[in-house]
This record gives sequence, C-alpha cells and structure tokens, in this order.
Amino acid sequence: MSVSTSPHMFKVDRQAVIKQLGPDNLKECLRRMLLIRNFELRAEAAYQQGKIGGFFHAYIGQEAIQTAAVQALGPNNWYATSYRTHALALLLGATPEELMAELFGKATGNAKGRGGSMHFFTERLLGGFGIVTGQVPIATGAAFTIKYKGIKDEVSICFLGDGAVPQGAFHESLNLAALWDLPCIYVIENNKWGMGTAVERAVSVPYLAEDKAPGYNMKGYTFDGMDFFTCYGGFDHLFHEVLETERPVLVEVITERFKGHSISDPGLYRSKDTLKQVMQRDPIIIMQNALIEAGIITVEEIKALDKSLRESVLAAIDFADKSPWPDPQNLEEDVFAP
Amino acid sequence: MSNGKQVVELREALRQAIDEEMERNPNVFVMGEEVGEYNGAYKVTKGLLDKWGPKRIVDTPISELGFAGLCIGAAMTGLRPIVEFMSFNFSFVAADQLISNAIKMHYMSGNRFSVPIVFRGPNGAAAQVSSQHSHCVEAIYGNLPGWIILAPSNSYDAKGLLKSAIRENNPVLFLESELSYGDKMEIPMGEYLVPIGKARIVQEGQDITIISHSRMVNVCKEVVKELAKSGIKAELIDLRTIKPLDIATIAASVKKTNHAVLVEEGHIFAGIAAEVAFQIMESCFDYLDAPIERVGQRETPMPYSRVLEQETLPNVNRILKAVYKSLHQV
Repeated sequence: MSVSTSPHMFKVDRQAVIKQLGPDNLKECLRRMLLIRNFELRAEAAYQQGKIGGFFHAYIGQEAIQTAAVQALGPNNWYATSYRTHALALLLGATPEELMAELFGKATGNAKGRGGSMHFFTERLLGGFGIVTGQVPIATGAAFTIKYKGIKDEVSICFLGDGAVPQGAFHESLNLAALWDLPCIYVIENNKWGMGTAVERAVSVPYLAEDKAPGYNMKGYTFDGMDFFTCYGGFDHLFHEVLETERPVLVEVITERFKGHSISDPGLYRSKDTLKQVMQRDPIIIMQNALIEAGIITVEEIKALDKSLRESVLAAIDFADKSPWPDPQNLEEDVFAP
Repeated sequence: MSNGKQVVELREALRQAIDEEMERNPNVFVMGEEVGEYNGAYKVTKGLLDKWGPKRIVDTPISELGFAGLCIGAAMTGLRPIVEFMSFNFSFVAADQLISNAIKMHYMSGNRFSVPIVFRGPNGAAAQVSSQHSHCVEAIYGNLPGWIILAPSNSYDAKGLLKSAIRENNPVLFLESELSYGDKMEIPMGEYLVPIGKARIVQEGQDITIISHSRMVNVCKEVVKELAKSGIKAELIDLRTIKPLDIATIAASVKKTNHAVLVEEGHIFAGIAAEVAFQIMESCFDYLDAPIERVGQRETPMPYSRVLEQETLPNVNRILKAVYKSLHQV
C-alpha cells in the first residue's frame, strides 16, 4: 500500500492571516458566514411551512470553506459547485432576496423560478449542479477557456463532495486537467457522508486528495475545513500556486455537515452523540472566538450583526412571499438561447 | 471544378465547413478522439491540425464524459466547441453531460448561461459493426427539449448545415453516416449556409409522400425510381433538420398526396417516424386517404451477419411494400 498513513494538514499561522486580512475583511467574512447560516436556517423554517419544495441541501457546518475560498481568490474567477449551492451564490454576490425568491419558485428568483435550491447562478457561478460530479467536467472546461484565451490572472475552482470522488467524471476531469495543464482548483469538501454512506464505505483510500492526486500527477493538499484561517491561508496558497504553475491542484477540506444530506434526511445513520461532538467545532463559533480574542469584534457587536442579518433574511422571505409567481404563459420561453 | 463549383465527398464538405468557421471565429475549436494527429477516424478533420495547431484541434484520450462535459463548460464560458464523437454510440458514455447540462443550462439558469456547442459524428449503422456500434440516437435524444438535431443526407446540406450549426447559440446534435462520408456531390466553391429547420423536397410528386432523413434518403431515392417505373409519382422529403421539425413542408406535401410513408434507419418504438406521423395526424387528419405507414429498423439489436443486418435495416423492398400498402395496392 502506498496510500498516506496520515494527512499532512496544511498549516497556517492564524496571526499572519489576521494581519494579512485586517479587521474589516475579517468582519466581512464573519458577516458572510453568519448570513449563510441565517439564510439557510430561515429557509429551512420556510420549507417546513411548505413555502419551499423539492430538494434542499444545507451547507450548515461548512461555511468557513467557501467563504475563505472566495475571500482568497476574489470573485473574478469561474466557480462551480454541487447541489449544496446556497452559500457560494451568496458569496458571489447573489442577494438573499433573489435566492429566497428562487427557493419559493417565484418570478423574481435567481433563475426565474426554474432552478430551485440546487441551481443557483451568478455571472461567475456556473451553477449549482444536481447530478453528483456533474460540475467537475464543467469547471474543467472553464479552466480550458481561461487557458485558451490566455488569461493569466484567473482560475477555475470546482467544489465537490466526498461522494463525487468515486464517480467517473471525477477521474476523467482530473486526468484531462493534469494532461493539459488547466488552471483548476478541485476542492473536495469531505463532510464524511455521501448521503447516508460513510466515506470509508465509498472511497478505497483514506485521504482523498493526498492519495488521489499523485495518480494524476497533481499536488494534493488537506485543509481543516472548520477553521476559516486555515482555509483562507490554504486557498490563498493554492490560488497563487495555480496562477504560477498553470497546473491543476486537488485539495481535500475536512469538514462536517451539521444537517442531514437534505432536508428530508433525519440522519439516522449518525448517532446524536457523534453529531453533538461534531457540532462542538462550529466554524462560525471558531471564527467568532478568534476575532473576539484578537480584539476585532465584541460579543455585543456579533449579537447585533447576527440580529441584523436575521432581519435581512426575514426581509428576503417577505420579498419572496410577496413576489409574483412566474407567468405560466411564459413556461415554454427560453429553452433556447436567442 | 468549374463555374465556381467543386465535386466533393461528404467528409470534405464537413471539413470545409469546420475550416471556414474556424477562420471566421477564433473561439471555434475542435475536440475529440483522433481528430488531430490521426487526421480523424473518418478523415473529416484531415489536415486541420497542420493548419490550426493543437490549441484548436484538440486530441483527447478516450474520455467522452470528461471531454464532452469540458466542452460544455468551455461553451458556457465563451468558446464555441465542435465535439467529434468517433461514433454517436460513444455519446452514451457522456449522456449525463449532454442531457443534464448542455440542454438544461439556458433554461435552468434563468437565461444566464447558454451552450453554443456542436456534437457531431457518425450515427446509425455502418458495415457490419454489430450490436454496440450501430445505434441511431436521434429518437433517444430527440425526446428531450433543448436540442437542435440535424441529419444531412448529402454534401451540400452537410456543409451548409454544419456552418449554421457552428453559428448556433444552442446545443446541436449533428448526425452523420459513416456509409455516406465518401458520397460525392457538386457543391458551390463559395460560402453558403443551409438554414436550420427547413426540410427539402428532393423529388416532387403527387401520389404519395415519402419522408426520411440522413442515409435513408438515398435508399428512398431508389424507391422513388422504382415507383416511377409503374407510374407512381412519389414526393420525397428529406427532413435535414429533425428538431425543430419542419411540419409545414411535410403537411403541405401530405395535403397534396393524401398518403405518407415514413422511413428511418432507427427503431420504430417512439421513433422519429412516430413523432412525424403524429404531427401529420394533427395537421392533415382530414386529408389522409390511408393510414400512415412507417419503415424502420426491426426490433432487434444490430446483428453482425450481413444477411441479418440487411434484414433488420429498412431497405428498398420493405419501403416499396409500405408504399403499396398505403396506396391499397398490396
């Protein structure tokens, strides 16, 4: 066996990140994480009230990862993710109003009420993809475009779950990206479960990036996904490495989802004790404590911030509620681009 | 070559279309297995690597799912890929990307992203390539909204339609036939386009309408000649575009002839003929003097033996029988 016996957790000096980002950026990152959390909690409640239908996959527990990635890379790159897409859309500038309206299936929604929870988009977010691993070739294609057009200051970044690793599209995409030197960052958010199947029962090697990457002649990294600072430092490093080497990289970010696979999943495969233990490392609490400790924010300020975000999400729900339904007369419009 | 005309094989007509569109738009590129150094499994891309280089004529490993999806991503981000499937049978390996992403994206994204992409390659039977290499995919994919499906039967249409396809802002399935790549035809030297969505009347007639597409049009031409010997004047329509279907041209013909026989190389059940027949029923019900007849591949996987292969595919005799049945001359 040549698999890694332990992951080499990417080390980041928290103080250096605090210094690098400064108080305003850090507060903004905390605000975004709290916005994501508030958005999803309120949306879940709206779902339970029957305002939202279909599939609904919460990102709760994983907020540090994409918040850090967007902060490190900036919005002017190509982004793609799985069906767990609420956070990335918010981070890339979609408003809570348009996203909530999309969840409500309203005409004012992010995708005109046609996409729903799994299919959010922004100018640089290629989607929310509903089929596991469906976004991985797409993000690889965005990296192909970057290279084709000779753009030197952009990358493509693709988020996927641990459940996507056994899929064929993962293998084919990574092989092509490595073969053709495409600037793509593949981020496996390992939340330990592909629906109700534990990752150990799905993938034949223990360390998803470090064990897999060498097979594609790529570098593999492992980040602690619960710690914003590690994620920021890690993505900052990867961004510059990919721009410099013009080569793809593979990173596993070890995280936890605090909710079920989807809203309809009671999570019976995971004991209450395990979940309780897992939730001790809440990425938002870790971030808050660090910022309090650094004297960047106070408990009172956090409470006020959280309250204002809750209110803005409630306003988004109100907006969604009051928005018009899509006009059934327009049902068949836009199947084709003009 | 004279008077601005040239006689070209169908593969050369396709090559010219690709070459001209690559010249016209730097974002057009070709990707597929053996398209470059091998010069194309069927030589459609012959010489293009030498002319355009490996950036725009991209050889791939055997990874249809990967490179089809990659090209959809490239199309979403500003390029205009032409994906060659060495055979459309291999598109099944890429079906998730074609079905879940290419044709859903514009609608599903609330018009934010479009997918200007052409998937092209040989479709249907070749010569004794057996069960797994002989599928007709038009009915399988045609069931789904979002596709433009083109299936030319000759060099003129192949070139003009492919150029239109490459300029199209939506996913196109461009279905060729391996057995037709060597067919020669005189076409203009200069640039021309064939519009998407227009069928062509190959032969005018007033007794019966025969409707087909792709290679089967040539088989139907033989049928028309046979029928002429016994004084039956058949009108032959080449669909050229399967989706969107040019029902106006079809209906005008059936209203004139009052009889229709539909011929496709693929299978009958939920086939293209089933759709065309239904649309004829919708627009020509009162004009039909006989039930619509259809001839397609019989309900078997494609057998290897030449004898069995001929038996399962539509052929002149089976089509003639269908015509006579329609005309109550059985």
